[in-house]
Formats: sequence, structure tokens, C-alpha cells
Amino acid sequence: MSNEHHHAAEGEYIPETYIPHPETHGTKTLWKVFFILLFITVIDFAIYFIAPAGLGRNIVFVALGLVKAVLIVGIFMHLNYEAKFLRWMIALPAAVFISYLAWLLLLEGSFVSTY
Amino acid sequence: MSNSATVSPKTWAGGRSPFNVSYGKLMMWVFLLSDAFTFSSLLVGYGAIRFSYSGSSTPWPDPSAIFNHFPGFHGQYLPLLFVSLMTFILIGSSVTMVLAVEAGHRKSKSEVSKYMILTIIGGAAFLGCQAWEWSQFIHEGGRLDTNNFGITAQGYTHLHEAGKFGNHFEWMAGDRQPGPVPFASLFFIVTGFHGFHVLSGVVINIIIWLNVLYGTYERRGHYEMVEKVGLYWHFVDLVWVFVFTFYYLI
Repeated sequence: MSNEHHHAAEGEYIPETYIPHPETHGTKTLWKVFFILLFITVIDFAIYFIAPAGLGRNIVFVALGLVKAVLIVGIFMHLNYEAKFLRWMIALPAAVFISYLAWLLLLEGSFVSTY
Repeated sequence: MSNSATVSPKTWAGGRSPFNVSYGKLMMWVFLLSDAFTFSSLLVGYGAIRFSYSGSSTPWPDPSAIFNHFPGFHGQYLPLLFVSLMTFILIGSSVTMVLAVEAGHRKSKSEVSKYMILTIIGGAAFLGCQAWEWSQFIHEGGRLDTNNFGITAQGYTHLHEAGKFGNHFEWMAGDRQPGPVPFASLFFIVTGFHGFHVLSGVVINIIIWLNVLYGTYERRGHYEMVEKVGLYWHFVDLVWVFVFTFYYLI
């Protein structure tokens, strides 16, 4: 059990136990993001009943969904504050592959009208 | 090289983490990236199948015509209200999770414990809502292999006339027909796969919370496990944002 009390000295690297000193950014930003997320959901709800169904409304919904995603990943999951390599390692493959897959399959789906 | 100003040449020379995070947290991120691909495949596959029904004689039903119930308001036409409540619950449990992580940075055991309990309650409430949604859907005839949720032209006319928000609304004879089978099966698969993630998240949250109470992280000197499970929990919330958008709004 005594191993658990060992703390890495500043800058010293011990595999798998290396913990950068956590920093707290306070709770103000977190509550702000929470209320923005709630507000966007209310906006979604309102647009659904105000705007007529169609491509324009769907684009607005997807755009608002992406705003929510950026807030959750960036602030709640703390990715905005992480090292640059980590940010790109997560964001780039997700953005490139998912949008490519969506583009290909939605295009394909609109041609496969066999029903 | 735009990197040279901020990144020393030693970044990849070994001896320190180029990502400036612990191994466990890095692997949690890699896992979540792979899980994001899984969920995007499910949702994109759903989109492709839905698109393939455009112009069909059994068109894809408008989701709000199906999911329009709210517990305690039997027979009233309340589309989107219940899933919005579920979204609120999940966003709320997300903010309590991130408050637990923040309390962990300050090594405040009692606050971490308090916010972990609130997160677990939120997750359980979400699962309860989903169970209600599923049982309602199954009760009305939602099955994996058949689908009676096709809506005829007469049905849509009836819906546009009588289906005002909050009004009493019930289907009449001739409003419904057998619809696209994947509508029901994809609903079970997509929300079920997400719901199973929520269930796993609640179980993992309980394990971490017990460890907080037991003092495991206090002895370890840091609360990084709370951060790791927090990443997973926020990811579940993130997936729900897109399920909500693609399955209910569009």
C-alpha cells in the first residue's frame, strides 16, 4: 500500500502513474454551458413547431446539434484545455471520417429506392 | 513549422507524454473515439435506410406522429415533450458529473460524493424515462420484425387537422397501414444501444462513487478516475444529442 503514497516529483516521469497537476477553472463556465445547452434544446423545441418541415429546418437542427457537441466536448470533456496533439488526435479523425461516411451513405441511400 | 514555437523538439523524444495526460485518460479518449465511430455508423446507417424510402408507397413516418405521449396525459398530442425532458435530465446529470470532476481537482471528498450521487440519480431517471418510452412503443405495436406505424395520406390529413399541441388525438380507422420495418427495429437498436451505454455508465458511476466513499482516491492522492468516468458520461450525453436530433427532430 505504501506505493500509493508515492507522488511523482515535478517533471519526473513514472509510467502509468504520471498525473499532471489538475487545475480547476471554477464552476462559473460549467453552469454557463449548462444553461446554453438547455436554451438550445428549448430553441430546438420551438423551431420544431414554428418552422415548416424541410431541408432548411433540418440543417438548423444539425447545426444546433453540432454547437451542443462542441460545447460538451470542449468544456465538459475538457478537450479545449488539453494539449494540442491530443485535441487534434481526437477531433480530426472524428470530423473527417464521420462526415465522409455520412456524405457517402446518404448519397447512396437516396439512390437505393427499391421499396 | 508553426509547431516549433510551442512544441519543443523533445516532445516525441520519449521521457514524457506528448499528450500531457496519463495513460488511462489517453486510452479513454481513444476508446471514446472508436465508440463515436460505432454510433455514427448506426446513425448514418439509419439515415441511409430512411433516405432509401423517399418516394416509396410506404413512406417513412413522421416521428412526432408516433412519439407524442407524456406520462399522465393519456391521449393528448404532445410530440417532442417527453424526449425534451429526457434531454434535460441527461444534460443535468452531465453538469453534476463535471461538478464532481471539479470537486475532485480540489480533493473535496464530500462534494465529489454528493455530485456523484446526483449524477447516478440523473442517469437512473433517464433510464426510467427510456423504459417508459419503450413500453409505450411496444404497447402500441412496435416490434423488431413488423411495423404498424405507417401513416396513410388520410392519416396525415387527420393529424394536421386534429393534432394540435395539447389536443386530444387518437387514430381512426384507415389512418394507419403497415410501414417500413426498419423504422421500429432501428428505433430499438439505436436507442437501445445508447440506453445500454447509459446503464453501463450508471453502473461504473456507482463503482467509482463507492471508491470515493471508501477513500481509494484520497489515498491515491488524486481523483483522476472520476475524470475518466466523467469523460465516458459526457460522451453518452453527446450521443444523445445526436439521437435526439436525428431520431426525433428530423
